[in-house]
Amino acid sequence: MKIPDLKSQYVWVTVALLAYIIPGVMPLGTGFPMSDTTMEIYDIVKNLPEGSICAIGGSGVFAFDLESSAGTIPALKIMAENGVRIINVPLGTEAVQYEKFLIDASRIEKKYGGTHEYGTDWIQFPYIPGGSSGLVAFLDDIHAACPVDVYGTPLDELPLGQELTNWEDIDLWICPHWGFPTIVQYVTGERGIISISFAQSGAYSTYSPYMMSYPGQVYMTNGFLGGAQMERLVGMKGLGHAAIDAYQVLSILFVVFVALGNATAFTTEEEE
Amino acid sequence: MLSTDPWVWISAILTIFSFTLLYGDNKFFRFAQYTYTAVVVGHSVVVGLETVQGRFSPLLSGFQPMLLISLILGVMVLFVVWRKYAWVASIPYAIIIGVGTGLMMRATLQTDVIGSVRAVIAETGKIFVGSPYDQFGYLIRVTFTIGTMFYFLFTVFVKGTGSKPVSYLRDFGKYALLIYLGIALGNSAMQYSGLGASAINRLLRQWLGLGG
Amino acid sequence: MGATLTYIRLNLSRLLIIIGALAALGTWYLSVPMVDSVFKELNAWQVNISSFTLFTGLITISMRYLRAIQKRDSDVWYFEAYALVLIYVWIILGFAVGMYSDLYQTAYLSTKITLHIAILGQIIFFYTSGAYRTFRIRTLRTAALAISAVLIVALNAPWVQNPFPAASNLAMWLLNNPQMAASRTVVITGGIGSIVLGLRVILGLEKGAQRITEGE
Repeated sequence: MKIPDLKSQYVWVTVALLAYIIPGVMPLGTGFPMSDTTMEIYDIVKNLPEGSICAIGGSGVFAFDLESSAGTIPALKIMAENGVRIINVPLGTEAVQYEKFLIDASRIEKKYGGTHEYGTDWIQFPYIPGGSSGLVAFLDDIHAACPVDVYGTPLDELPLGQELTNWEDIDLWICPHWGFPTIVQYVTGERGIISISFAQSGAYSTYSPYMMSYPGQVYMTNGFLGGAQMERLVGMKGLGHAAIDAYQVLSILFVVFVALGNATAFTTEEEE
Repeated sequence: MLSTDPWVWISAILTIFSFTLLYGDNKFFRFAQYTYTAVVVGHSVVVGLETVQGRFSPLLSGFQPMLLISLILGVMVLFVVWRKYAWVASIPYAIIIGVGTGLMMRATLQTDVIGSVRAVIAETGKIFVGSPYDQFGYLIRVTFTIGTMFYFLFTVFVKGTGSKPVSYLRDFGKYALLIYLGIALGNSAMQYSGLGASAINRLLRQWLGLGG
Repeated sequence: MGATLTYIRLNLSRLLIIIGALAALGTWYLSVPMVDSVFKELNAWQVNISSFTLFTGLITISMRYLRAIQKRDSDVWYFEAYALVLIYVWIILGFAVGMYSDLYQTAYLSTKITLHIAILGQIIFFYTSGAYRTFRIRTLRTAALAISAVLIVALNAPWVQNPFPAASNLAMWLLNNPQMAASRTVVITGGIGSIVLGLRVILGLEKGAQRITEGE
């Protein structure tokens, strides 16, 4: 008996209805286990001493790095609770808006009832052009590379800005962007600063060799699953959890359709 | 409850226009496409204006007269869009390419080449120590790296005495690459699935007010 | 006179490439204060020059769209007119309120980001129907590709990980061992290729770099 070939539109409708519309209206609340790498990253971030400076930045913003935001927002909350100071270093044109989104979404600012005050506990740098050149210029001399913040205020007039000189003042670098190899090359490889990426799953596949080249210095979580795990560690339900709900159904459909495709091919060949 | 925020409506309409591509190329998708292009170009100009303003303001206050050289070189870069005067942009582009090349070479050599080769050598030693689970993992890493290297470097078939072992290694490398591609492809499903969920959830929850 | 100026310009470009590259390399591998100063200055120029490259898109698009609107020979000229108006409205908005303002952020998230995510989110539909058609096992090669893809999709899923927690470890093992090893080869060979490309640029053998620096 020949199984007929399905039109693509039938596949799309099935996926849209079962994987997105139904879980979108009625969240499944899917559970998932924790991974060792996520726990390691959580420990590194949690154990940063009070007053440490963490840089968040990079280039290569893909789909607004939403997948990375799932892990970065919980990390910001942990750092804010522990009094870790944050500097946002955008090396891409869209990175400024993304880093603003992260700060707003994490609610760490005093105006949202959080602990962090702008200028004292966190600074947003303006876009630094030049890619790797801009990053190297920033690491070598922060004031020369970025004399003002995103509002145009001279760095010397900001309490946190007065303490920044060069890369030696940075204790951790989080890169929630696709330009993670640049960060590994210049921040970890050349200067030995630990770097973490809440990587998108497409990026994890490509950048995992860097984790193995610098064991104990470079860490990555895997996509929305890693982000959802970080969310659970801080007790929040955000985009990571929503994405895992959709993925729960999509993965079943994926396996079913591949099996169906093979059954169709097998029965077609048999008939021939 | 339907949202009353105009930005949510704009966002919802653009999302729907974008999804009409599934039906086929149409004017609604084109409208969305040109909106995207316009905002990208507009945003880069806004970023450019603020960046230039921030970086060159010391020139006006007289603190850093050397910035004048960068300003002139920067304006020269813009001539690249005119075919007749594109030669004006050659000097600033020479600086960009020269410095960029040097930085790229030193970082690539240290991290990508030496770092990776050092990792392979370290993992070769670890094949004989540790738990069987870890040993097997390191064995897979080393053999797959060597196999795929053979596939890349000996793409043209080698003839002569070494041809048989090289061809076996090449075939092994070919399958290692296929496994890599399959795993990479399968892993990226999570990414696109999540983006689709984000787009559709924005329609359902933010715009239509359905769901949790 | 023209030939002399052209000669000076061409060789100045080549000299700047060599000095820039050697300064960037020398500042890392040598401990010479003069080299450090040269690199620091050239790098600062590079960063400042790069901020002007953000305007080239506007000039190119404006020229192209204006030409199309004047000729009206394509069937999308009205979309191009709309895009051109939107570009300049956006620039005025950004300059007036500042790109770090809440209004600009809301406008940006509601337009560009919404579209970007929607366009990329659609891929999952093509992805699933593509998998239905492509992952049909006929040979050992297609089996290797299809089985590894389906395996990782399933192992990453909660419906497998919840009843079998070892599935999570197996997924990470597959990602960090066979997948990483082949990816590492791409990194090594790509790195070697990049270094060779860099050497060709420094030696003036790379046509692509020559085209832009020699204005040919």
